[in-house]
Amino acid sequence: MGRMTVAELERIKTEHAERMAFTDKTYLLLCGGTGCHATGSLKVKDALLDALEQAELGATVDVIETGCNGFCAMGPILVVHPGDIFYQKLKVKDMAEVVQSHLVEGKPVERLLYKDPAAKKRIPVQSDIPFFAHQMPRALRNKGIIDPEQIDDYIARDGYRGAARALLELGPDDIIEEMKISGMRGRGGAGFPTGMKWAFAKASPSDLKYVLCNADEGDPGAFMDRSILEADPHAVLEGMVIAAKAIDAHKGYIYARTEYPLAIKRLDLAIRQATEYGLLGEDIFGSGFGFEIEIYQGAGAFVCGEETALMRSIEGRRGMPRPRPPFPAHKGLWEKPTILNNVETFANVPQIVRKGGAWYASVGTDTSKGTKVFAISGDVNNIGLVEVPMGTSLRSIIYDIGGGIPKKRKFKAVQLGGPSGGCVPEAHLDTPVDFEAIAKVGAIMGSGGVIVMDENTCMVDMARFFMDFIQEESCGKCTPCREGTRRQLQILEKICNGDGEPGDIDTLEALSDTIRETALCGLGQTGPNPVLSTLRYFRDEFEAHIHEKRCPAKRCVSLLSFEVDTEKCTKCGACYRACPVDAVEWKKKELARIDLEKCIQCMTCFDKCRFDAIY
Amino acid sequence: MPTLTIDNRPVTVPDGTKVITAAEQLGIMIPRFCYHPALGSVGACRVCAVGFKEGPIKGVEMSCMVDAQEGMVVATDDPDAVDLRKHVIELLMLHHPHDCPVCDEGGHCLLQDMTISGGHGRRRYAGAKRTHLDQDLGPLVQHEMNRCIQCYRCSRFYQQFCGYRDLGVTGIGTRVYFGRSEPGTLESPFSGNLTDICPTGVYTDKPSRFYGRRWDYERAPSVCIHCSLGCSLTVSARYRKAVRHEARFNAQVNGHFICDRGRYAYAYASQPERPRDALIAGRPATLAQAATQMSERLAAIEKGTGPDGIALMGSARSSLETQALLARLHSEKGWRTPCFSADDAATRVVSSALNTLNATNTIALTEIEGADTVLLVGADPIGEAPMLALALRQAQRDGSRIITVDPRPVTLPCAHDHIAVSGDDLATAVAHLIIGALEPSREIALDADQQDRFKTLKQETRDIPAAAELRAIGHALTTAWRPAFVCGTTVPDPDVPPLMGLLQALVQTSCMWSGLFFPLPGANTFGAHCLGGSDALFEPLLAAVEAGQVKALVVVENDLFSEYPDQQRLAAALESLELLVVMDCVPSAITARADIFLPTQTIYEAGGHYLNNEGRLQVATPVIAGGLSIMDTGGGNHPPREFREDIPGGTPRPAWQYVAGLATGETDPPDVKPLLDEALTAGVADGERVSLPSASREWPSIERIGAGPEGDAGGLTLIESAATFGSEPLAAFSTVLAELTPLFGVTVHSETAQRLGWRAGDRIVIPDSAPALEVVVTLDDRAAPGVLLVPRRIGIDRTALRRYMAHLLAE
Repeated sequence: MGRMTVAELERIKTEHAERMAFTDKTYLLLCGGTGCHATGSLKVKDALLDALEQAELGATVDVIETGCNGFCAMGPILVVHPGDIFYQKLKVKDMAEVVQSHLVEGKPVERLLYKDPAAKKRIPVQSDIPFFAHQMPRALRNKGIIDPEQIDDYIARDGYRGAARALLELGPDDIIEEMKISGMRGRGGAGFPTGMKWAFAKASPSDLKYVLCNADEGDPGAFMDRSILEADPHAVLEGMVIAAKAIDAHKGYIYARTEYPLAIKRLDLAIRQATEYGLLGEDIFGSGFGFEIEIYQGAGAFVCGEETALMRSIEGRRGMPRPRPPFPAHKGLWEKPTILNNVETFANVPQIVRKGGAWYASVGTDTSKGTKVFAISGDVNNIGLVEVPMGTSLRSIIYDIGGGIPKKRKFKAVQLGGPSGGCVPEAHLDTPVDFEAIAKVGAIMGSGGVIVMDENTCMVDMARFFMDFIQEESCGKCTPCREGTRRQLQILEKICNGDGEPGDIDTLEALSDTIRETALCGLGQTGPNPVLSTLRYFRDEFEAHIHEKRCPAKRCVSLLSFEVDTEKCTKCGACYRACPVDAVEWKKKELARIDLEKCIQCMTCFDKCRFDAIY
Repeated sequence: MPTLTIDNRPVTVPDGTKVITAAEQLGIMIPRFCYHPALGSVGACRVCAVGFKEGPIKGVEMSCMVDAQEGMVVATDDPDAVDLRKHVIELLMLHHPHDCPVCDEGGHCLLQDMTISGGHGRRRYAGAKRTHLDQDLGPLVQHEMNRCIQCYRCSRFYQQFCGYRDLGVTGIGTRVYFGRSEPGTLESPFSGNLTDICPTGVYTDKPSRFYGRRWDYERAPSVCIHCSLGCSLTVSARYRKAVRHEARFNAQVNGHFICDRGRYAYAYASQPERPRDALIAGRPATLAQAATQMSERLAAIEKGTGPDGIALMGSARSSLETQALLARLHSEKGWRTPCFSADDAATRVVSSALNTLNATNTIALTEIEGADTVLLVGADPIGEAPMLALALRQAQRDGSRIITVDPRPVTLPCAHDHIAVSGDDLATAVAHLIIGALEPSREIALDADQQDRFKTLKQETRDIPAAAELRAIGHALTTAWRPAFVCGTTVPDPDVPPLMGLLQALVQTSCMWSGLFFPLPGANTFGAHCLGGSDALFEPLLAAVEAGQVKALVVVENDLFSEYPDQQRLAAALESLELLVVMDCVPSAITARADIFLPTQTIYEAGGHYLNNEGRLQVATPVIAGGLSIMDTGGGNHPPREFREDIPGGTPRPAWQYVAGLATGETDPPDVKPLLDEALTAGVADGERVSLPSASREWPSIERIGAGPEGDAGGLTLIESAATFGSEPLAAFSTVLAELTPLFGVTVHSETAQRLGWRAGDRIVIPDSAPALEVVVTLDDRAAPGVLLVPRRIGIDRTALRRYMAHLLAE
């Protein structure tokens, strides 16, 4: 196809109007995100197609593999339209029944519908499920609806209309002004106002400028960017085109980690489709403005998500941060003015330009506007991807959307913002999602990883886990981060092993000070956060480990004796049945006893015992 | 030019100066590991923290990362900064082994100093030290990775500064490793600098390993005499043996670094074969006997033949003192004018090159780093003057365009455009550059006479294959702001340097700055030229010997056999002499033939003045008194005890003393400065350039340009040129450098190889060579077709080689 025009966009939209409204056919929207691929959605898809063929429904039913649906814990997921019926945890053998019962006989398959854990009843319609009902999809507006590999699907949902407006109607200053009005702040974690960042880059004179998209999502437990790229790659491309116009750049790179093969495949396809449509390349929309995008695959170093390290990496050099200033808006990639925004930021841009900054700013708090995508994981019922308005409380995210803590356990803390973030305890659960409010309770908004921890989590062990990650991923450039975080890990390991000594906490705090004040980059300066934030709220657990040689959450194996408390034991035998190595001796109506010779300290019995009888 | 206050003292520095550099100007050394003036700031080690009290920045910041700004008030002893520094050192010491007693860096280790001065003494953290496997990096550099403090100086120096890729950094976190992908000899000829820049003992000097501590050494400032650039050195010696050269900062010449040839060349001075006793007819004699006999026999010959019967031969590696006294001997006694090189072809080019230099067009080595275009004609820096390659690398990193015009496949550690032009065509190539620079419009600026000459030039200049490309480059030179012109003095013919001078003069009118740089064949070639021996050629002298006109020859510190190609003719001529006097500090083919031999001192014992390739007067200070090393006289015992009045092996005297004995009988070293003044009619100070004539606007003679190649032997020519290792007469005695010297080989263009029936890797046994010589064939299509390129190599049978090559050329 030659040059794209607004009329042509409109024509494509009209042509696909019925598909988007689900009025012409029955649509089976099968989740094709990485999470559902992992639980077998590709085999389910084959089975579904077979069943449809046998039922001779091929002409009236369309199967569409969408990007990530978001409710990842329930995969593989199938949504049937019209009707918005949500099927979960599908297996190959279920598919004939779904086709026969639902599509031929018109009766949804009851046993495969979502079951609300609280109300204990099935909820057939997707939008009625609490996980979805409390969300406000903006960045994720197309997820689960469009086929990410079809550019027409994106255009049919008003895709590239923002770019058209930016290129044909607005000047660079208008775009930046719109971004400023929207109050958009960088979704990568630091929350720098996007409009201001672009204004700096626009004001830097240069023959060449670059627009970079940071898709090097590295926090443990974070998968927002991957899901956006898998579900709606064109939104990111369109956002980059608009940004390019704002700062007068003609070349962009998407820095994505090689561990995201599906996202990269879909991005690559999207770039080729957009180029074919004339939405990338020279003279887009006949505006005279040209922009092209290249994908650069990173090898997966955590530090390469740091902006200066990321640029080094694209330049083909060792990915290590350099001090700022100069800021990338003045000297970035190859020393040229550069803007680097996160995937989620770019995904929001087309709508801000299309609908106006004021529309975007209509939700949120005073200083944090719009919506934010979170990846909820850990000890929570509903694991998945959610998008909520800024200002929503953490409690609402964990309980209303996340469905609370499984196995009737108590909530202990939630880790926000990945390794550089911090944990928030029960007392602060009503904190709204807002850059400043979250910082006030000792965490950071971060890129959106939310790891929920129940009462069985040892916070010292948790700090140890994150410290292990940080010291492992330190780029090795500056001394405090490289050496200091490793020593912090060693002290935490020592405490977890029961070798903690009085003074260890002071040492951890002193080291934290040194690292925070002397480390070179943001990652290093926030490196001690897992220690500082757990110490802030759970100092007593550290002290119990050190002084009493006791792990209150019973997670630190070295501090457990693997014996049965004869007073608490109810002789139920749950531990006996669960033990994988037959180390538990038990007979009906008798106390259990653990043979320490055989015991491999796998903790299974601890998890099974509901009476806290093993210590 | 911001003014800031550091530790209560104001300092004004240029814009963009880092605070750490500003403090240096006040003599305040803020602690640092990763920062290095040549490598810049990187912000890795975090020990240069200082307190910013007032001004645009407040609080503790790294002084290497902050630009000095107006009104800043900095305290380097800010308690918070001192505390942080201490913590950082403590963190570094957690992994650093406590092996100072067996570490060769101990005593001059920055980490050791910082640990002591920072006050760190007690380890507060548990946990094992991380360990690494070390690598064998070859004969020069010892690797000990466990000591690494990750300052990244080595990888930045090796890769970014020098442009070599085989040593670098891998891994992240505490697994960061500096080394090669697998053990092996470092490829860079600048690898020895790693031992200088490493702030601790990861890279230490391998040949001098475990020989002594910094405080044990006698150390003195000296000058490198292993090429013509004259880099500044610090020599370390112990037990009467020079064992280490380190780079000494020189802002005009070498900056902070030196090359490996210069660093490891010292072994000649303490080699067991070094002649230390006077010999008469090959038999040991006392110095007095030999000197008396020398004077008497020379006087006798002079009586018979007149002063013309005695000839003097000096060398480019002698100090100015020696060269000056040879010149004086000639003027006082009337003996034949001293000749300083047996390579007449080179002498002619040198003479023409140095006559081209003047007070305004001569530039220093480090000035080349600031050039935006560098044109090299007939110069191969890595082989002839390695540090020039490093300067070019810095220019190129800064955006400079480097162009090499050469028959050889010149390789540089930086991107450059190479134009292969056969040796005989170099003058024509420069003529094309000149035409390109003047056409199509600039010739109007010439006066009538110059226009005439330009017309002749255009008419006379032959077409050569690269003509169009050269003219385009010539034109591009006129748009350069800071062009530098480098011309070799061994491969080009004598017409080339003046033409380069003309090109420079023409371009000079349209640029901000430009200049000429001529690497010379020897360390003190410039000195020989200044002291009046430059025009004395060897060929006539040899003919006079053969004709019996010269009966006695005094050869001072020159192995004629390594310079003069026809060894048999030379040997026969020397045989016919009545008296051959040789003075030298190394054994050679000629010392063995001497009727009277006088052992001379090396630069480490005698010191001396040297003029480098741009005429900069530099002085080497003696570092040891002389004599056999007590490591040798002790036969391995320590302390070695041998009781006698004199120092064993301490007979050698400075060469100038022997020469003075023949002329004036002086015993104090001559003051070279008045002698230079006399020669150059102007004053000169240490470290400064001698006065050169003021610029002349005259065009050089261009009559020969159109002549084309002489002696066309089917288009084949043999070029012998200097290689990094193995070519320089003194460095060739170094056994560690011998390990790095590649197999002797010939490099040819593949077309030429095809004509000769050679294939890559062929081994050609040179007939009748002694010692037997085998030549390995290498193909390189960047060489000019028709050129057979071999390295100069001390100790090979050049006569046989040339005979064989001549036979090839003739066929």
